[in-house]
This record gives sequence, C-alpha cells and structure tokens, in this order.
Amino acid sequence: MSVISEVLRSAKAVISGMKTTISQIPKEKWTVQYPDVPVTVQPRYRGQHLLHVDEMGKEKCVACYLCAAACPSDCIYIEAEDDPRPYEDRIGRDERYAKVYNIDYGRCIFCGYCVEACPKDAITHGYNFELSVYNRADLLKTKDDLLITKQKQSDKYRVALSSEDVDSEFKEV
Amino acid sequence: MAEELIKVTIDGQEFEVEKGRPLIDVINEKGFGVPSFCYYADLELQASCRMCLVRIEKMPKLQASCVIRCTDGMEVTTKSEEIEKAQRAMGEFLLANHPLDCPVCDRGGECELQEVIFDWGDVEERFDEPKNAHPEKFLSPIVANDQQRCILCKRCTRVCHEWMGEDAIEAGNRGSNTVIGTYGGWLNCSQCGNCIEVCPTGTLLDGVYRHETRPWELDQTITTCTYCSDGCQLSVGSRADEVHRIVARDRYVNGINGEFLCIKGRFAHGFVNHGDRIKTPLIRYKKGGKLIPSTWDDAIAFAAERIKESKKAGVVATSRLTNETVHTLKRFADECRDGTSYAVSDTYDLAPFFENLSAPLCTHKEIRFAETIVVIGGDVDEEQPLTAKQIRQAVRNGGANLILVNDTPSRLSHQASQFIHVNPGTVEAFVLALADPSAADMAAAKMGIGRAEIDKARETANATKGDLIIMFGKELGAEAQAVAANLPSRHENRNVKLHPLAGYCNSVGASDMMPGRKPVADVVAGSDALLIAGSLSDEEFAAADLASKPFVAVQELFLTDTAAAADVVFPAASFAESDGTYTNNDGFVQRVRRAIDPVHQAKPDWMITSLLASELGADFGYSFSASAVFRSIAESHEAYEGLRYPDLKDETRPVRVKHKLVSGADVSGAVASLRDRVSQFPDAADKITEEPRVGHKLHRVTTMTGKTPQFHLLANGNPKPDDLLVSPLFQFNPDGSPKKEEESEVAAG
Ligand code: SF4
Ligand code: SF4
Ligand code: SF4
Ligand code: SF4
Ligand code: FES
Repeated sequence: MSVISEVLRSAKAVISGMKTTISQIPKEKWTVQYPDVPVTVQPRYRGQHLLHVDEMGKEKCVACYLCAAACPSDCIYIEAEDDPRPYEDRIGRDERYAKVYNIDYGRCIFCGYCVEACPKDAITHGYNFELSVYNRADLLKTKDDLLITKQKQSDKYRVALSSEDVDSEFKEV
Repeated sequence: MAEELIKVTIDGQEFEVEKGRPLIDVINEKGFGVPSFCYYADLELQASCRMCLVRIEKMPKLQASCVIRCTDGMEVTTKSEEIEKAQRAMGEFLLANHPLDCPVCDRGGECELQEVIFDWGDVEERFDEPKNAHPEKFLSPIVANDQQRCILCKRCTRVCHEWMGEDAIEAGNRGSNTVIGTYGGWLNCSQCGNCIEVCPTGTLLDGVYRHETRPWELDQTITTCTYCSDGCQLSVGSRADEVHRIVARDRYVNGINGEFLCIKGRFAHGFVNHGDRIKTPLIRYKKGGKLIPSTWDDAIAFAAERIKESKKAGVVATSRLTNETVHTLKRFADECRDGTSYAVSDTYDLAPFFENLSAPLCTHKEIRFAETIVVIGGDVDEEQPLTAKQIRQAVRNGGANLILVNDTPSRLSHQASQFIHVNPGTVEAFVLALADPSAADMAAAKMGIGRAEIDKARETANATKGDLIIMFGKELGAEAQAVAANLPSRHENRNVKLHPLAGYCNSVGASDMMPGRKPVADVVAGSDALLIAGSLSDEEFAAADLASKPFVAVQELFLTDTAAAADVVFPAASFAESDGTYTNNDGFVQRVRRAIDPVHQAKPDWMITSLLASELGADFGYSFSASAVFRSIAESHEAYEGLRYPDLKDETRPVRVKHKLVSGADVSGAVASLRDRVSQFPDAADKITEEPRVGHKLHRVTTMTGKTPQFHLLANGNPKPDDLLVSPLFQFNPDGSPKKEEESEVAAG
C-alpha cells in the first residue's frame, strides 16, 4: 500500500468526522454551566429527603419506623418518643414523634421506598442533590438537616414545570 | 389418663387425635390454621369473635371451631369461599369502629387483628358512618388504653378474672358502645400487665414502653426473670445497648409461665440502663476516705493485696446471683485461702428442707392440675405470683381443693375451700399437727382454731387420689422445714409433692451451689476481709458494721448501703447483660442470656470473682466463658451432673436438677423440738382480720424496682390524676403528690 493512498484515506476520515462536528455548531447547546447556571430538575426528581410539618408547624412523622423497615439499604435510624403534652405544646402532630431521625447518605440509593412506605406523608424526596462533603461522617444527616423548616436549599437548581420537557434523551436532535 | 384416640378429617386429610380436644387446637397444630381472636387456651370459652368458623359435615351452619370438641368421624373444612366470606364479613364488622392508626399504635407489627386483615389484603370498608372516636388514655401508671381499638374478645377480662382473681377490668355499656373499662376509671389492681399481654390488639398497652420503638426493631432474647423464685421465662426486647421492654408473648418465648408475668417481671427493667449504675471500679485507698474511680487492673490488684494480708477471709453471696456466680464464689472461698467461710444472704435458707427432701418438687404445671393444694404460710399472691396464678386456675378451672393456712387473709383465701385462719406467727403449728397427730390438740389451741379444722384438712388430703401438693412459706423455721420435707414419706401411696415458696430468683440454686454455708452474721463476724457479691439485707447490714472491717470488697450494680461501705466496689453486670442459669422453685435450671453488652465497664459477677482469684494465684480455667463455669458446676454438684448449656437451650422443655431424695429419714428430733417451740407460743392472740392492700409487697420500691418511676406512684397509693389523657408520671411527683402547675410545665418543656 502506497503512502499516498494512506494519506488520502486518513484525510477522508478526518473530513467525515469534522463534518459532523461542524454541522452541530449552529445548533442548540445542552451543556449546563453548573454551578454558574442553575440546573433544571424534573418534578419527580429524587434528591435529599424532606421531613414535613403540618400547617401549624408540627412535625408530621409519628416514628412508625415503616420507612426504616422499607429501606433496602438500611440507612434510616429512628428513635421514637412519647410526647404527652397537648397539641399546641408538642413537637409533632401526634403524641408519638421521632426524637432522632437520621438518614445515612453514604448508603441511601434514592430508591424512594421510604416515601412510598410513609403512611403520614411525612417524608418526601426534595430536590437538593448537592450532598458531597469533605468528611464521610457528614453524610449522616439528622433531623436538623432533613426537616423542611431547617433544610438549607441550594439556589443551584430550578424545578421544571410539569409541562416543560427537560429530558434530552427523548428529544429529537 | 389414657386418652381415647379418634379419627378426624380436616380438609380431606385424616388424623388421629385425642377425643374431646378443642377442634381449633387440632386445626392449628396440624398446620391448617384458622384465624381466631377470642380463643385463648386454658381460659373459659367465649366464642364472640366468630373468626374461627369452619364447615363441619352434617352440621347446618358454619361452626366456631373454638367451642367444638373433636368427635369420631368429624369431617372439617377449614378453607372455602363460603368460610372466607363469613370471616371477611366479621372482619369488616370489627373494623367498622376501628381507627386503623397502626402507625402510632404500639401494637403495630405484632397485632393479631392487623395480621388477619393484612393476610386477606383487600378488605373493603363499606361503613361510612363516623366512628366512636376516643382519645388514648391511661388506666393506671402502667396500663395505657385506646378503647376504640378494642374488638371485644374479652381475653383481658377473662385473664384478670381467672389468672389474677382480681376482676379489675370488665366490659361496660352495650351494643356498639361497649368498652372495656374499670370501676371508677382507674385501675387499683396488682398491675400485672397480663391483660396487655393477651390483648390481640393495641387497646391495652404497656405504659412503661409507651411509644419507644417498634417490635420488629427489637432483638428478642429469651431469658429468666430476676425477681421471684417462680422463674418465669421472658423475652427481653433490646435495641442497640438498651433494654426497652419485657414480654412473655408466645411468638417469642414459651416457658413454664406461658404469657403470664407479674408487674416486677414485666415492668421493673428500668434498672438495667439506669444512669445510677456504677460505671467504673471504685477504690477507697484509706479508711474514712472517698471511693475513687479506678481501672479494673488497679481495683483487682488492690483487693487481692488486701485479701492476702488479711487473717481470715469471708465470702457472702446473695440469692439473686446466677448459679455460675455462686459456684465461683464458693470456689473462691475453697481454693484461694484456707479457712475461708462463706454464706448466702437470703430471707429464707432452705438447707434443712433439701437435707430432708423426701418427695420431688412439684412443677407449676402439676400445680395447675393438682387435686389438693395445701399452702402453709407464705404470701403467694404477692411473692410468687405465678404459683398463685396456677393455684387459682387449679381451683377455678380444675376444681382443686385449696387448703390455705395463714395468719393473714389474702386474695387467695376467698377461693380456698378451707381457709384455716390461725393466730399471728403460728403457722408452724400446723406442720406439727400434720406430722404428729398426738400434738394436734395443742397445736390447734395455739393456732386458735378448732381441732375439727385440722381433721377436716387431713380428711381432704387423705381422700385425694391425684396430686397432693404441699407448699410452705418462710414462716417455717429449720425444724418445721425438716418436718415438712419429710411429710410425703408418711403418705406412701399418694402423689405428694412439695413446693417451697423460696424468696428470690435463685434461692434454690444458691442453696445448691453452697452446701455447708454458714449464717451471714457468723461469716461477717468471723472474717477481717470480706468479698460480698450483691448487697446484704437491711437487718444484716445493720448488724454487720462493715465500716469497722479492715477490708470489704463488693460487687454491685448500684451504690447501695453495702457498696457504699466497701473499700473496693466492682461494677457488676445485671441479668440482662450476663450469661448464666437460675434454679427455680420447681427445681428447673433455666438459662439467663445476655441481651445487651454490659453497660459502662461492668463485668459479669463470676468473671469478677475469677479475676480476683487468678490474682490470688488460683486459676479456675474458665477463660471468660459462662459455659465453662457451668461445666465446672456439673462436675462438682451431684444434682447438676452431666448438664451442659446445650441441654438447657429449649425453654419449652425445662431441665430439672436431680435433688437427692431421702426417704424415711428420722425426723423425730425435729418433731420434738418443733413441739417444744409450738408449746411456747402464746395461748391467746388477736387474729389479723384486715386483708392487706393488693400489691403491698409487689409494688414495694427496692433498689431494682425503684428505678422504674411508675413503682413510686404505685407504692404511694396509686393516685388517680385529673387528666387521664396524660401519663400520671407527668402529673405527680414520685411521692404521689400532685405536681404544681409551673413545675409540670417545666418538666414537660
Ligand atoms: S430512598 Fe431508598 S435507600 Fe434512601 S432512605 Fe429511602 S428507602 Fe432507604
Ligand atoms: S390494634 Fe392493630 S390494627 Fe388496630 S391500630 Fe393497632 S396495630 Fe393497627
Ligand atoms: S381490650 Fe384487648 S383483650 Fe380486652 S376485649 Fe378488647 S381487644 Fe380483647
Ligand atoms: S412471677 Fe416471679 S418470675 Fe414471674 S415475672 Fe413475676 S417476679 Fe418474675
Ligand atoms: S376464636 Fe372462636 S369465636 Fe373467637
């Protein structure tokens, strides 16, 4: 095989590759400039959990342990306690509440079973996905991190409207 | 009794069963399974839940299998569309007024109602009328109640009536307003909690374990109760290193007591994880100085040094310790220093009894099916609650004769077929009257009863064909015990069995482990270095003057008076933290199992003693395993010969130790000295007519029970709070006085 035919063949390959590259340049771009620009997440995105409160600010969780029982990676730890005070004074909505509620994000696989299991709609997935920490122990989140009244939300994401389609996989390009 | 075998066909399979057995038992035993709520073995039949319906050929309608007795040729169908339809309809009725708030219900996860409904999966609720909603409330400091969850199976009321003889709870109102309630809205019973245990739903709940965790989160450890000598088998529910509750639920444990437990066994476990437990070894370097926390090595070395220096050492065991510990203490006394004396601190030393034992001890099952029971002295209701329950059932459900000899009326005396109410402190005379008919007249006079009463009791005993059981309490002195132990050998042809009403969980075992022991006072007085495992009783402590002893080492859980007077205190592990065995008053040697790791730096008692021994140069070869200690017991005590832990692993088949029987021993000496003693009793005395309050001994606040706050309220008159919806603990101070407004807010906030 001559050197010339080899050069020609390579040039042809480069040209065909560059054709694709150049043809994409005028088109819409999908790269997100995170963290400079917020990410858009789906409405049903499963991020860090939220523990909810009712309209009076009372925690909804009754420490029934069903989320912990449903969790396939065994990462929820609860300690229940009796709170016999009247509704106005107590912490939770019911006379039973979770004194301790921890989720270990080193183990959580964001499957959503806990949310499915909860009979009181007390736990849902939030949208927060910024969970990286410098210390592994910090992956253990307590009630102070999980309660909706206390969780610090990042401004680095926006939730898509349900009418909005943000999933590029199914978008015709 | 040889049972006649008959043929019964269940779902096409033929079985041979004993005639007359409850059909529901047979169905469940053969693995077919039929749902049931109100049926409870060995309680009166109720047949109100209609869950156990089956089709029996030739019977017109579906039948409740709990009230059907097996007859020959019976053909039973347990599963069909018709049956399930009927059962589901019943289920729907049960749920008509049920809140289904399983997430907050403490029974969730082990609720029989939940299980049955869950098994069907798709039960439809067609009632949309509002439910009779009621908030949860308290019936006593330890019984919580949510009346809406009740399915009116009346297991609780039957248990309260038949097991406890208390009738403290009953059904009130009618129709859909029927509720289980109490007289006056507040429970003043012995607070055994058996109604809580048998309730298939979350209507009656444990107020001590209230809202603490969930049953599936708990590790269940089968072990033996650490209070009285009945030795109930129970299940310790622990999570991580904390004991949360104790139950005897048959899904976890099935021992001699079934699901029965008393208030102490069930609720008094607060001491295990209590903050007052001794955390590290403590040393008092100089007399008059303070107890200073130290390390194990230092404390052991310090104690060993002092014991070595002493002239004469003494060892005192207590009867709440495991056999392993008492045996190790005995070896310590035998092998570490010559001439070391030893004693067991107990309210009731059974040595004379076991030396003259002429018939086997009776088991609790035998009590239930006995024909005649003679109880001489003691206070069974308050001190051996399981024995009391068995007696009550024998009388009530089995028609047994109960002859009660006592100086004080009690709950049991109302059920006695013959209550011999004697002058205070004279029950021993009854033993004399039984053993020596010639002294009967004198004994009757001293007891303040007619001679006819003794003759009537003797007649009943003589007419007994089945088991005749003789129980006796701690009123019996050494001679009377020896005579009582010898009584059966005078009744050659009869099944006479003995049941000592021993004081503590291991009174019998400690007595077996330490033959040749001396009285505590002698050991304390005769030694200048003492090793005490546990604490001395108040009287012994007052007499001992430990502060004046050159050296005292104590192994304890809490800084009791005895521990506070010691020079070295070793933190000991409680029953929930150590392995071992207890021997109960049936002679059953039963396992104690470690449910949680020892708290703080505590170590099991036997380990502490053997560490001390090895520092003194005696190696017991235990290498930190309780089973090795038990092997050593089996090698050195005849009654325990050949036993190993694997033999004891099944609590449903408890193993009896082989106490030596002496038949035909000559007790004439004991009878003579008993006669002398009885003849010195005063001739006339006022009888005690007042019946003591229920729980006067059960609710006592002791070092152990006092760590469960509810006991303080019970011991202080069990006051009824104004607000039944809130636990009394939040409304009263421990002494029973109401908390002030501001105070209760501080406590709550
Ligand atoms: S999302 Fe899944 S893995 Fe994570 S806590 Fe819930 S159940 Fe557990
Ligand atoms: S009693 Fe049973 S079914 Fe009813 S709320 Fe409690 S757990 Fe659920
Ligand atoms: S309280 Fe419990 S045991 Fe008693 S009747 Fe109701 S459901 Fe049955
Ligand atoms: S009866 Fe005795 S052994 Fe049984 S639970 Fe009560 S104290 Fe324990
Ligand atoms: S178990 Fe038979 S009717 Fe309730």
